[in-house]
Amino acid sequence: MTKTSTEIQNLVLSFIEQFANSNSATQSDPTFNEVALAVFDYQFQNNLPFRKYAQSKRRSPLLVKNWSDIPLMPIQGYKQLTLSTTPITKDEPVFMSSGTTDPSHRSRNYHPSFKVWDASMKFPFKKYVLPDRDQMTILGLFPGADTNPNSSLSRYVSKAVDYFGDSKSRVFINENGMDYQGIVAALQDAETRQYPVMLLGASFSYVHLLDYLQTHDLTFNLPKDSRLFDTGGFKGQSRSVSPQDLFQTIQKTFAIDRDHYINMYGMTEVCSQCYDQNLFDLYHQFPIKYTKQAPAWVRIKILDTNTLQPVPAGQTGLIAYYDLSNWNSCVAILTEDIGIQDKTGFRLLGRVQGAEAKGCSIAVDQLLQVNQR
Amino acid sequence: MQVINKDTLKIIPVDLFKIPKATFLTEFRYQSIRLGETVYSLRLPIPTLAELNVLINQLKANQKAYLSHLKVAEIIDWIDQAIQCWTNPKCPQRQLAIKLLPVITGYNAETIKLEIKRFIRIFRKKELLRFVDNELNQPEILDDFHPQKSGSLTKAFGPQTIFNVFSGNIPGLQIWPLIMGTLVKAASLGKTSMAEPLLPVLFVQTLAQINPRLADCMAILPWKGGTQSLESVAATQTGATIVYGSDKAVGSIQPLVPSSKPFLHYGYKISFSMIGREALTPEHYPQTIKRAVEDIAVYDQQSCLSTQAIFIERGGSISPLAAAKLIAAELANYQLKRPRAVLTNPEAAAINRTRNQYQLRSLNDSTIQVLASRQNTDWTVVYHAKAGFTNSPLNRFVHIFQIDQLENVPRYLNDYQPYLQSCGMAVDPNRLYSLADRLGEIGIDRICSLGEMTRARPGWHHDGHFNLLDLLHFVDVEPSMEAYAERLDPDVE
Repeated sequence: MTKTSTEIQNLVLSFIEQFANSNSATQSDPTFNEVALAVFDYQFQNNLPFRKYAQSKRRSPLLVKNWSDIPLMPIQGYKQLTLSTTPITKDEPVFMSSGTTDPSHRSRNYHPSFKVWDASMKFPFKKYVLPDRDQMTILGLFPGADTNPNSSLSRYVSKAVDYFGDSKSRVFINENGMDYQGIVAALQDAETRQYPVMLLGASFSYVHLLDYLQTHDLTFNLPKDSRLFDTGGFKGQSRSVSPQDLFQTIQKTFAIDRDHYINMYGMTEVCSQCYDQNLFDLYHQFPIKYTKQAPAWVRIKILDTNTLQPVPAGQTGLIAYYDLSNWNSCVAILTEDIGIQDKTGFRLLGRVQGAEAKGCSIAVDQLLQVNQR
Repeated sequence: MQVINKDTLKIIPVDLFKIPKATFLTEFRYQSIRLGETVYSLRLPIPTLAELNVLINQLKANQKAYLSHLKVAEIIDWIDQAIQCWTNPKCPQRQLAIKLLPVITGYNAETIKLEIKRFIRIFRKKELLRFVDNELNQPEILDDFHPQKSGSLTKAFGPQTIFNVFSGNIPGLQIWPLIMGTLVKAASLGKTSMAEPLLPVLFVQTLAQINPRLADCMAILPWKGGTQSLESVAATQTGATIVYGSDKAVGSIQPLVPSSKPFLHYGYKISFSMIGREALTPEHYPQTIKRAVEDIAVYDQQSCLSTQAIFIERGGSISPLAAAKLIAAELANYQLKRPRAVLTNPEAAAINRTRNQYQLRSLNDSTIQVLASRQNTDWTVVYHAKAGFTNSPLNRFVHIFQIDQLENVPRYLNDYQPYLQSCGMAVDPNRLYSLADRLGEIGIDRICSLGEMTRARPGWHHDGHFNLLDLLHFVDVEPSMEAYAERLDPDVE
């Protein structure tokens, strides 16, 4: 029996709560499979464009018996189609991508309710970002939900501060730009009064902050247990910086070591996040792994770019993302990110680049670039 | 693990460079290719600035001492002799090229064998004579002063040296600028791409066997593109620069070339084809389909001459959709016969992304159909029942547009105008010239028969311009001077 929207949300919620302390590698597959098939069935019945897409791939709930056979919606589908199992109401919250490749054509992910999204964000954040404590001072370097209601990362930043930030936590950026003096004051306060802080922002937020600190010749010796969190890359930004260079500057500027630096993998189109495991391992005194781990309600597969079939461990390919918390759009997504997986987790190697033509022949991406000039 | 028997293993050294006598390169790196019991040890130079300077000076000296004194007709004769060697299947350089190029480039071995054979023939004497005649009314003005209709006597001079930056997309393409430069009596410094550094070296080796002094007016060597120190020396110390390749390559070299010197570049281009209803009769359509597929499959669309989109006219015995399906079937067939090269992650992902884009669109738009190889990216046809135009992510991926009248094609090409190049056609003679006229008007510079798109003629105005003329400067001796000199002749009354 196909479930209703409330039933499917409750099903996913109870799965999330049941396996909050588990992860993608340790959670048992049969339970995941059961819920994944129920979500697929619900989406097939209620999300017409996804249904049509599945049918074009000759897949339906009758034929699919394993979660890995659920058809993968290409991430462009969130730009080209309206993917929602519930009718879209006026003023319904929607997250939109920043439209980095084509500003006029952004991904849209609709959220008739945030119950599942919030649960999916909360437990892994605690586990991987704050494994050692329940609260800390969070210094947000990305606009919050009040500034940017259509950004999933903005909601994420606001929720992080709501759930886990103490009274000194704040977001230092809004529509007027970054409050550099405010950040400097907060960092100096932490230094003087010796309490740990977490800097939380998008990768490119740090580029601007570090520029400012360098110009003013400011460095900090942040107290023990301070940490730095970033997410995303530099797509579409005015300048790109290699992660190594960025991290070295961070280390010099804040005195934060590699084990206290953590990167999150998330996107507008999905409702969950994956994290580097090093902080978790550090505070649990496990051997430290720097690969990313997904929550129990997510599965990651790495696919060959040519055949779109899974590759053996240790080979690079496109990341396929199966996420139960994506109950309202598509449970299975084909990203445009390149990754590599082993038994400890996966690594993100970046967006797949446009194919570079070898000579005079022109490929799509290059033409787009040329036309944008 | 492969068992290597050292007794039977043969090691053959292959130099991926060719420099004039009396010049030296001292630092090298090595790569090897193993084919059966033979290992080819490829030697690649790491040139220094000083070595490059010496090389260019030697090229200048050799040009002055020898090439500048040859007559154009003699140069053509020497080149023809080298080409004649290459038309012989036993030519050792040709054999080596056929063995190693499939490994180096990833292209199908059969395709390389066939295309090299065809390609080399366009440089035979009769073709070169046509070429220089086409470009210069009197090719002899490269040798001496010749009277012009204006009354002047004129001689043409090429640059003493040319810095050629070759692209590596199509094996052998580098020979074209190499021969062009030689015809205007310029010594050539050729920088090869690591994607295909072999064929020009082999060609100059053949030439060296026939005429070592002429071969010593050429230096071919690879280095990493964008090495500014080397490229700056090459661009400033030579008399002209010609760049084949991406906008990035052009953009990195152009600023290094002094504004007083000729700079030619051949960059991004898009080609397409047009199939008229008259080519879709029961008699003709099977051949039409095969020809259309040749233009897609040869060298996997890596050449700017390859088709990326096909307009098919309604009203033939088979519909444009039926023709698209036949093209898809023929691409599948071709894959069995001559498989496409293995792709890199970005190349394969670009195909999947574009396929997805159209598959998603087709969910709500019945005018679009995606016909594609299953389980891999071998070939893709996107059929559009509504006319339009777009380019392809390459590697055997083609868009097919149904159109009521081929005469309407130009109205869909506006956005792409600066990039348009060749058009392969299947139409009857009554429409050919009016269609050619319309295409010429919006900037297309080459029209050829369907199936021949990747094989341009040497006389072609490459990207719409002259090839040799842009490299030359002319000296006119005006009639006043001629008459005045006469008066100063002591033997004249």
